[in-house]
Amino acid sequence: MIQKKICLLGASSVGKTSLVKQFVEGIFSEKYLTTIGVKIDKKTIFLENEEIQLMLWDMEGNDTYNVFQERYLRGAAGYIIVVDQTRATSLHEGLDIHTLVRQVTDCPAILAINKSDLPATWNMDDSENKSYQNLFDLQFSTSAKTGSNVEEMFSALAKLLLRS
Amino acid sequence: MTQLLNKVINALEQIILEVIDTNTGTVKWVEGDGEWAIDLFPNAGNQQAFAINEETPFLQDFLFDATLIWQAAENGKLRSGLWTETTHTNKELYLEAIAIKQDQHNLLVITNQREDFEFQQKTKQLAREVLLSYDRLFLKNEYLHTRLLSILKQPPEQSNILTTLTKVIENAEFAVLIASSDFSTNIENSAAIKLFDQGTLISSQPSRPIDIILRLMQNQLPEYERILSTNSSWDGELCWISPPSTLKWLKVAFYPVKNKLNEVENWIIFANDISTIKHLIQRNEQLALQDMLTELPNRFSFLQMLEKHIAAKQPFYLLYIDINDFRRHNEFYGHDQGDKLLIELSKRISAVVKTSDFIARVGGDEFAIMLNNIDNQKACKIAIQRIIDSINKPFHTKKSESFNISISIGAANYPHDGQSVEELMKFVDLSAYNGKKNRKNSVQFYSQSMKDASHHLIIVEQNLRQAIKNNEFELYLQPIIDIKTNRINKAEALIRWNHPEKGLINPDDFIPIAEKSGLIIAIGEWVISRTCQMAKQICDLGFDIKISMNLSPSQVTDNNLFAYLSTCINDNKINPRLLELEVTEGVLVDDYSAAEKLLSNVRTIGMSVSVDDFGTGYSSLSYLKKLPLDFLKIDRSFIKEIVADDNDKAIVRAVISMAHNLNLCVTAEGVETKEQLSFLVDNSCNSVQGYIFSRPIKLDYFIKLLHEQK
Ligand SMILES: Nc1nc2c(ncn2[C@@H]2O[C@H](COP(=O)(O)OP(=O)(O)OP(=O)(O)O)[C@@H](O)[C@H]2O)c(=O)[nH]1
Ligand SMILES: [Mg+2]
Repeated sequence: MIQKKICLLGASSVGKTSLVKQFVEGIFSEKYLTTIGVKIDKKTIFLENEEIQLMLWDMEGNDTYNVFQERYLRGAAGYIIVVDQTRATSLHEGLDIHTLVRQVTDCPAILAINKSDLPATWNMDDSENKSYQNLFDLQFSTSAKTGSNVEEMFSALAKLLLRS
Repeated sequence: MTQLLNKVINALEQIILEVIDTNTGTVKWVEGDGEWAIDLFPNAGNQQAFAINEETPFLQDFLFDATLIWQAAENGKLRSGLWTETTHTNKELYLEAIAIKQDQHNLLVITNQREDFEFQQKTKQLAREVLLSYDRLFLKNEYLHTRLLSILKQPPEQSNILTTLTKVIENAEFAVLIASSDFSTNIENSAAIKLFDQGTLISSQPSRPIDIILRLMQNQLPEYERILSTNSSWDGELCWISPPSTLKWLKVAFYPVKNKLNEVENWIIFANDISTIKHLIQRNEQLALQDMLTELPNRFSFLQMLEKHIAAKQPFYLLYIDINDFRRHNEFYGHDQGDKLLIELSKRISAVVKTSDFIARVGGDEFAIMLNNIDNQKACKIAIQRIIDSINKPFHTKKSESFNISISIGAANYPHDGQSVEELMKFVDLSAYNGKKNRKNSVQFYSQSMKDASHHLIIVEQNLRQAIKNNEFELYLQPIIDIKTNRINKAEALIRWNHPEKGLINPDDFIPIAEKSGLIIAIGEWVISRTCQMAKQICDLGFDIKISMNLSPSQVTDNNLFAYLSTCINDNKINPRLLELEVTEGVLVDDYSAAEKLLSNVRTIGMSVSVDDFGTGYSSLSYLKKLPLDFLKIDRSFIKEIVADDNDKAIVRAVISMAHNLNLCVTAEGVETKEQLSFLVDNSCNSVQGYIFSRPIKLDYFIKLLHEQK
């Protein structure tokens, strides 16, 4: 069985834990319980006749109370930068984290624009959108609440990892 | 001994594993036990070696870093950070590992950190929820503010404004009040009535929400009078206590809505009940006195500290630092860049003040510093210079664009200038406000003359407002001569103020004040409309003469300018080809995107554009290439010495050839002598303007000149 480490990164309260919960257990909670430190969840998926175990590293969000630590990325096969489309600042924080991660690894990266069930408070024009797309291998608009694109995102990433 | 040790280790909720093989991660359990530890390693028999494997993936991963410690020659240790492990019995453990090398022993200590985890969980949860609430509040306020402004700025003919406003504010989740300039009348939403409801117990007439807010501001803000008299906006927190049972924390935003004459027509006031947020914060002592963003002490904490020092009669200097044009910066780069700037600034200032000094963030873009153990202005100035030096270095946006900011500092001394917290805060606020005359760094010590000067400004502003109403302005025309034909083909329109008592006043003496007070928009519109009339009149007489008019920086950024210009052109039925806009080089650089948009628009309809005062400021060629331009006007300062000064000669030649390369024509300003003229002719300058031909003159005289040249 192949094992792949995937890190979820981003500002606090963007929905990292919720995405993992939705993907692994199929549940969602409105209540916000902030993550402290790191929690690892596992999920096995089948892809092209292969069994892949995803080790999902859900990490505490980065903000004034918790600075980004690159060492948790060691050994990561890929990572997901999660941003919250109701808070424009989370996009900028996400991009900052992305820049920091890029200094230590070149592994595939995904941008998850989460909370797609809520109205967005920032407008990306096409050129902006493109320039972000260029920074990432894939980009998804997800909702941990409705489950929209969650499964798709993780399996697309797994597929990418399988090939590389 | 070992028994005691074991007890201690158990009490600490730790287990100690000795590493047997660093390569395979094989360890032996040597000390400590407990249910949690058995849950964690169910397969580890007592004193038996076992391997740390993917059952505990975080720990397995940590072994990589730990091995570096264990294989090193020196003693050392490394902590893993907190992680959550779900056991096979589905319990969650909150753990931390420490890799230790001590005298040839390789150890792995695992601690059950449940308490620390829960503490962190609680405080960070709280802090993050507070951050989120503030974020949301900010968004909602911003949105409604923009919406209301756009409604209030509609022309009054659209008489259903009141109905629209009432509808829009009724849907807001927080209190919204829109008051007349003197606060005598206002509309408010039901959220406002609910927020300020004092119950039915009170026998006397209940106060109106607006009166309550004003009273709170008056009592709690030393800068209250300044805000009202200068028509400034304010936002911050107020505490409303109304016995027997009301204690509410309000986040209040207070914005003026001004007309073209810079008079306040309405006030928009938002009040959000943030008592719950405050309450959350207050549970956490440290946060209550801290500014969330910069982590500096907040306003309340600063006022407390001031009180303390005053009570102890310890002399100090109080500084008030205000970032110039912060709003503009925020609009240009975005709200989060603004936050970033505030954090960076607070760090820089903190780094240059002494540990005995006290710095706090006391408002949106305002910082206050108490310089202790200083009793003379000279020492204070040295401290201030350190602060200015620290902010003079460029700042960077997240996209690594660099930019500079400037600040205004107000300073006052205790006990010399004021003896109470209110007085001192009021004085430094006023001083800083007064320093804001330009975009440069400024320092103002509190003084009588400063008070007088600010009074003078207010008078001039009032006079200007009168002048607009009474039509006291006049446009003069200064002819511009085309060198090839040696005839007038253009004129620059220049404003003069015909003051009823003081006579003719030059623009230099009033335009800066108009610019600062916002009156420039009204004056600028008068200039545009008058220019159009004049151009029409001249054209109707059969002359093909272009008139150029000057735009000030605020006009360039005024969203309505182009619409106004188009209306005037249509009303006067003139060909836009007969009009030209002149903007200064500085505007093009400072407000590049606004300028580019406006200039492209005007050129699309056929007007031309010239750059005034060229060469005095930035001389950045990059924008010249990018912007839609037709003419460069070489500043008079170069022309003045052109005959004697070889440098100026070289500059003027270079400018002309560069301009021609970019397909721009060149006009020389301030030409006074024949020698200057012949130099310009020899070097293919396109047109000239100056006393050698004519001063700025009145319209009828200008027309006479045109007839003579016919
Ligand atoms: N409507 C909606 N809410 C979401 C979505 N994802 C997460 N949330 C909510 O957002 C809040 C934060 O979600 P978390 O998953 O805890 O966020 P996190 O990124 O793990 O936060 P930290 O652990 O603090 O860094 C919770 O109240 C969730 O219910 C989503 O897709 N839609
Ligand atoms: Mg989380």
